[in-house]
Amino acid sequence: MDVYLPWWVTGAALSIITLGFYIALRRPLGVSGSWARIVLWKNDKAIKEAEAPFQDNPKLFEDALMAATIEEFGQETVLEYMQSRHKGNDTVPVKPLTRSVSPNRSPWTAHLIFLLMLILGGMLGAYLRGDLNIQPTLGELHTNLFGSGIGSLMMLFFGGIMVGFGTQMAGGCTSGHGLSGFSRLAPASIIATITFFGTAIAFSMAAHYLG
Amino acid sequence: MRIYFYYSLFGLAMGTTLSMAGLTDYAQIHSLFILENIPLLLVFALAIGMNMVGFMILSRKNKTPKKQLTKGTIGGSVLFGLGWALTGACPSIALVQLGEGKIAALATVAGILAGVWFYRRATSSALKFDTGICGEE
Repeated sequence: MDVYLPWWVTGAALSIITLGFYIALRRPLGVSGSWARIVLWKNDKAIKEAEAPFQDNPKLFEDALMAATIEEFGQETVLEYMQSRHKGNDTVPVKPLTRSVSPNRSPWTAHLIFLLMLILGGMLGAYLRGDLNIQPTLGELHTNLFGSGIGSLMMLFFGGIMVGFGTQMAGGCTSGHGLSGFSRLAPASIIATITFFGTAIAFSMAAHYLG
Repeated sequence: MRIYFYYSLFGLAMGTTLSMAGLTDYAQIHSLFILENIPLLLVFALAIGMNMVGFMILSRKNKTPKKQLTKGTIGGSVLFGLGWALTGACPSIALVQLGEGKIAALATVAGILAGVWFYRRATSSALKFDTGICGEE
């Protein structure tokens, strides 16, 4: 146990990372989202191509918006509304488009670097603990429980599928729902965190005491 | 360039912290899940507690967006909980384990990639509900 840092150091560090990430990048920390953005990397290109003409000419964006509005509500309603707005004093001030056309989205390559740096962080952490070496298994307990052959690797692979699929379906994982969602008191995140912690505890308890 | 710097910085800091907290150690995680590792539970409790105060201060100026409950929230979380108990890994831990030299974590990483790909490519349209992408709400 003493090879690891005390709980209050690492707990405080994780909080500083979550808050610092939010302050610096204006979006909540979420590792499962980074996985999704990497898997969906082709979408980045498609969005960029679709937006290119509007980036060059913001007026095109207004026209496109107007076309979509007319399609949605019908030309008569829109025309009526526009005329009522320009009759006499314009009481509804028109806000200029201050934000760029595209929403605040980081490129998928930034997410890729984020995940690669997690690997590098593991390397650094293990080095600082004096435990950086190649190990074929996840440790003695895991080997005792699941063996060390191809069977245990298959188990890890299928467990990984559950983690990958489950976190996408739930819309977040330990970092997104747990660290950043729960503490912002988002009901969905509180429910998700209790559910995944509860499930993991129930399953491990059952395996430990019954198996 | 600024974005890349921050993603690198926070990725490195997070990986190092998770490794030094013992969260990448299967025996540690297992003892947490059978409720025999209170210090590891306190890591989460302290981090969430400090974040609550932090986000309260930060959201006084700008409202912070919140995740919405979807049809997949509970089912997905149950699946994730089972996977976490089996592998000892969440989407970041598997990568950190790999960095520590635990070769078996490659199987977990491959599984996560397959799971994310399967959800995003094959079934997201069939499931007929959008769970959003974490970190972009």
